Amino acid sequence: MAARRDPIVGGYVYVPYNNYEYRVFYEEAGKGIPLVCLHTAGTDSREWRHQLCDPDINGRFRVIAFDLPRHGKSIPPVGFHKEEYRLTAKFYSEFVMAFCDALELERPVIMGSSMGGNICLHLALNFEDRLRALIAIEACDYSPGWFISWLWHPHVHGGEACATSVFGLMAPQSPEEYRWETWWYYSQGGPGVFKGDLYFYSVDHDFRELCEQISGKVPIYFMTGVYDFACTPEMTEKTAKKVKGSKTIIMEEIGHFPMCENPVTFKKYLMPVLEEILQHEHAPARRR
Amino acid sequence: MPLFDSHWVNAWREAVNNDPVLPIIGKYFTCDFLLGFGDKEYVVSVREGRIQWVSDQVSVETPWAFALRAPAESWEKFVQKVPPPMYNDIWAMAHPLHGRLRMDGDVKVIWQNLRALTWMLDRMREVPVAA
Repeated sequence: MAARRDPIVGGYVYVPYNNYEYRVFYEEAGKGIPLVCLHTAGTDSREWRHQLCDPDINGRFRVIAFDLPRHGKSIPPVGFHKEEYRLTAKFYSEFVMAFCDALELERPVIMGSSMGGNICLHLALNFEDRLRALIAIEACDYSPGWFISWLWHPHVHGGEACATSVFGLMAPQSPEEYRWETWWYYSQGGPGVFKGDLYFYSVDHDFRELCEQISGKVPIYFMTGVYDFACTPEMTEKTAKKVKGSKTIIMEEIGHFPMCENPVTFKKYLMPVLEEILQHEHAPARRR
Repeated sequence: MPLFDSHWVNAWREAVNNDPVLPIIGKYFTCDFLLGFGDKEYVVSVREGRIQWVSDQVSVETPWAFALRAPAESWEKFVQKVPPPMYNDIWAMAHPLHGRLRMDGDVKVIWQNLRALTWMLDRMREVPVAA
């Protein structure tokens, strides 16, 4: 009997950015509209394995998830050991677009969670002509309180502390096996990487005065779980009110990591969003 | 039994000390910490992931490494079998956005033992609600 396999294929691409060539790992599955998935802080693209493998999704989208430099299988830049890593909104947003360019993706849909959700606001403001739609999961205009020293401290086990600090962000209804799988991903981040990402998440990302500048040209779907204590439904709703062209979906019985803590519940909320994106795609043809 | 009285705390202690995981993840969790359920305070003495004793004789002379204090209403939600959002985790309750639980003292010890500590506190959900 043939062994069971996932349809995911992995690859490495060299992404030029700011006079440096980053070696970036990505996974992909399917054909269709490019759907680029962004992982959360301090972890990697494994978070998206369920969506990559779902025929209802990869049957119509080319699902791609990549590891940011320093995450997963994407190595850090030379000289990383001599600096403190702090992710900035500028690097993050421009690097996402540089990755899309390297893969020659035409007007991708970007779907990200947590910091990957927050960056969607920056992408909407600065790159609207190059995007088809944005799915901003667990996102809001300002998410303070996570840039804390204990997450990178020689007296504290980084893997255990980082992973356990996010465990309560998941809903008690989410299957235990997937919650602990997410914990496992978090336990594997490099030293200081989670904290460095949280510099963007809690410090450099402050869109409170910028939300209203987004034109609304690119549809934005905000999706937030009720158990997310870092970005509560109220924080998302308050943000979405200021963002033209946005829709808000509040998800019951799920927390901060919908795609990996509870892929079944997440799918119920995600599919209508993907359907709507596909309908938008075909709408101009029908009008002609 | 009424929540958070000495019988309840002892039942929690028993659940902790019968737990098969804590000797593994709590091997190096050794400290005395304070638990405050509203006005009711206890010092919990932990040695290698097991609770040696719990005392409600807390005075200014009672040493403890760190304290977790929250209104009884917060803990009542935390100990539910399926706790409601924002009350399912001590870091959720203590996060600056929410402030439903206060962490005092040597907070570093909390972060050093976060996994064993949260696992230990989660055992509160195993204490029978009615005696």
